[in-house]
Amino acid sequence: MSTPRTYSTARLILKGVIIAVLATAAGIWSARLVLQRPAVEDELSATRFPVARDVQPFELVDHNNAVFDNAALQQRWSFVFFGYTYCPDVCPTTLSVLNSIAQRLQDVDEDIRFVMVTVDPQRDTPERLAEFVTYFNGDFLGVTGSDEGLQQLTRQLGILYQRVEQEPGSGNYLMDHTAAVFLFDPDGRYHAVFSPPLSAEKIAIDFRKMLQDTQ
Amino acid sequence: MNSNNRQPAALLSLILLTFLATAMAGPAVVVEGQWIREAPPTSTVLAAYMVLKNTSDTPLAITRIDSPDFGNSQIHRTVVEDGIAKMLPVEKLQLSARGSETLEPGGLHLMLFDPLRALRDGDTVILVVHDDTGDSVTVQTPVLRNTEETGHAHHHH
Repeated sequence: MSTPRTYSTARLILKGVIIAVLATAAGIWSARLVLQRPAVEDELSATRFPVARDVQPFELVDHNNAVFDNAALQQRWSFVFFGYTYCPDVCPTTLSVLNSIAQRLQDVDEDIRFVMVTVDPQRDTPERLAEFVTYFNGDFLGVTGSDEGLQQLTRQLGILYQRVEQEPGSGNYLMDHTAAVFLFDPDGRYHAVFSPPLSAEKIAIDFRKMLQDTQ
Repeated sequence: MNSNNRQPAALLSLILLTFLATAMAGPAVVVEGQWIREAPPTSTVLAAYMVLKNTSDTPLAITRIDSPDFGNSQIHRTVVEDGIAKMLPVEKLQLSARGSETLEPGGLHLMLFDPLRALRDGDTVILVVHDDTGDSVTVQTPVLRNTEETGHAHHHH
């Protein structure tokens, strides 16, 4: 009596284990398929790609009216945020965080740049952007451009934005927009993404770890 | 002996005074830690932050907060859904009995549109907080340059 029971229990456990393994594998596989996201590395609060991704061609213009394209991402690390100047809460808060990151990384012997790309090119002229971003840090760069140029960059990064009208007739509108900060490496490749809530302290620590790993 | 005789009367006066003071205290809403984030000179939208406290034993709602220094204002809540930052208008901000709500960067905030004068760090702006009982509280609100302290110090855990 006891032998068949043990046998069937063992089989049941084995079956269970096989099902669990298969389900986990299927879960991981389908999650990767669905999310198309890099695996989160436990020791980092950032999401980093195992291999940095190439950035497809795009062309925008910076607040000095210079071309901002793939070449502009090279030779330096770039922290890039997508926002707009008529944004009263999230964008000033994020630019303050970026400024804090800049202060924390002052001792790092690397060229690091902080960029805000506007998702509201209709209103954000280079002049307006210049005033907005340099208010937070004189070295910050504002980037704008055509709708097409903006989409060339945002689509490949999975960035979403849309106009939200305020009271009818007021002409005021707000933008919903992806709140993450994107990191590009000196080869101009998409290296990592920092998702909100953004902590200057954590991002600075993560960046130092990433620098160590790439050296 | 006299002082002993006066005690009940004194006590009664005290109770009466407390009652009167409570009845005549005016608005139940108390505003604390209010500040407006300084913005670049051409900005037409600013944000104000504060703690709103309901000192009464009945729930109430903040219906609007306006300012003679701005053309328009609206209470908003920033939410991040699926990585997208959105601002949702808050028509009525509910305060439970003895409860409070905190307006802070990245969350609830007062959007102030169309400043009628240039506002720089160190300036002071009047804000008027209206509740649904018809009361209002007027507070002087400093304009401050956003630093990590004003923006994020509250979040250190």
